[in-house]
Amino acid sequence: MSRLLSILMLFGFVLLSLYPFTWMFFSSFKTNKEIYQPSQLLPEEFDAQAYGMLLDGKFVDFTGSLWQSVLIATTQALLATLVSALAGFVLARYSFRSKAFLIGAALLIILIPRQALVVPVFEWFHWLGWTGNSFSLVLCGIASGLGVVFFSQSFRQLPVELMEVSRLEGFSPLRSFLLVTPLFAPSMVTYFLLHFALCWQEHLLALLLLDDSSLTLPLALAKLSDVSHRAPESIGMAAATLSFLPIVFLFALFFRKMRTALSQLSLS
Amino acid sequence: MNGLPQESFRRLLPLLLPFLALWVLCWVVPLFWGVDLALQNPDSGFATSENREIEYVGLENFQRTIGDPKFHKALSNTLKYVFGSLICIIPLAFVLAVALFELPRLYRGILAFCLLIPGLALPGAMSKLFYLFFHGREGALNQYIIIPFGMDPINWMMDPDFIMPSLVIQSVWRWTGVVALFFLCALEGIPSWHFEVAKLEGMKSLSRIRLILVPGVRNLALFVGVFLVVDGVASFSGAYTLLGGSGGMMDAGLLLVTYVYQVAFPGGSGRFDLPGAAAMSLLVAPFVAGFLFLVLRVRLPQAKV
Repeated sequence: MSRLLSILMLFGFVLLSLYPFTWMFFSSFKTNKEIYQPSQLLPEEFDAQAYGMLLDGKFVDFTGSLWQSVLIATTQALLATLVSALAGFVLARYSFRSKAFLIGAALLIILIPRQALVVPVFEWFHWLGWTGNSFSLVLCGIASGLGVVFFSQSFRQLPVELMEVSRLEGFSPLRSFLLVTPLFAPSMVTYFLLHFALCWQEHLLALLLLDDSSLTLPLALAKLSDVSHRAPESIGMAAATLSFLPIVFLFALFFRKMRTALSQLSLS
Repeated sequence: MNGLPQESFRRLLPLLLPFLALWVLCWVVPLFWGVDLALQNPDSGFATSENREIEYVGLENFQRTIGDPKFHKALSNTLKYVFGSLICIIPLAFVLAVALFELPRLYRGILAFCLLIPGLALPGAMSKLFYLFFHGREGALNQYIIIPFGMDPINWMMDPDFIMPSLVIQSVWRWTGVVALFFLCALEGIPSWHFEVAKLEGMKSLSRIRLILVPGVRNLALFVGVFLVVDGVASFSGAYTLLGGSGGMMDAGLLLVTYVYQVAFPGGSGRFDLPGAAAMSLLVAPFVAGFLFLVLRVRLPQAKV
């Protein structure tokens, strides 16, 4: 009985998660009139001109934004994984003088949500003359508190013996790090994915740090839904569908690895 | 100290340096820059503008912010938003994770992936979807929930009483699946002998949940909680796209970051009140950071993070 109930509930939630996206996909072929009737799922006729207009860059340079987003999110997530893993490794496996102080100060400051500091970040980068290119956007998201917390939790599972061996061998910390990284491939992939997803969604910093010639996807979507463009709703739906595919593909590819890493993480 | 090898800071520096450098560049300097900015007269203009005369006005910007009713509104909205989402998401995700855990392994993965999907979409796209699909007179929420119960259709976007619930619903819809996946993985990480002992002891399902499953997800629940608070306080994109950059009717949907943005870069009026915005950030940010720091300290004493 209770088992049936829980299965029913699960399917209800799965439906709730999937159906709106199915609707979104089919809506990209609809006319405005059909879209304003949300109870209708399928369009009367499939008309792919929204995709054509979108890819031709009629309202915004969509392909440009797509590449821009892929490039920024990939670079930032790769660098963030590396930097956070290095720092997390040191914090989890070594003790050194002033460690407690360093952790306290670093964490206290880095837990400030980045978006709350955006005005000073903007002014400071403006002063440095770094605004207006994607490099600054990549740079200011790399160091994250979430990453350090994540990796210092994962590296704590490392067997003490391994560290002993590398100490007896006289390995430098960097060498020991390189030695143990293969063991933590799942954690690294997981953090890469999480950071990629967060960076993919970044809106405010992109709004401030990029100029109009190089929009990322969230900016392009916001621009499309701006009423003054009078873009048909189907274009917005097509853009949402296309912006959705890369990240779903990436997660599907590494889903297994991610689950392994997460179930290990919870043990510590 | 707890068996960790002692190293000199100098030998660890190559590993810590990238992080420390970026930390200084993107957090410490902006923090002090913000303090400096918050003490200036708002009429001074941008840092790079010509013939700029900086005039320090002391704590005036802070006083102005504290007295600003819109700031209070944004603050209380953000608190409602963060805690509203947190209270809905964590229990719901736990129930879902337990339900998934009872299933055979093969289906688990597939269903969990389906639940994850809303978390991957761009908040802007989600808002668009919400606007067209769920809200509106003909929208799904009215069609399937409100009207069948014999109530009048609700105008989710315009009615000040319902803008906030609609933002919370959006956040719940978005994150519950992701959190459920995290919890499911945590449950899978529980060693199987725990369940065998429970079976031998003849544990009832309720105490099985309380004694085995809840402790199993506690670590990840903490991580998720921190993540949700940070994301909630920082949320901007969803409300921005949903309400077109304004706070909605009577500012019922005005979130903190949106307001900071509005004050700093007002569309049209051209009076960029950067010092005011900086003061606003500095009034709030330390509390959020301090709160999260305490949570991490108290709940993870062994972790020493």
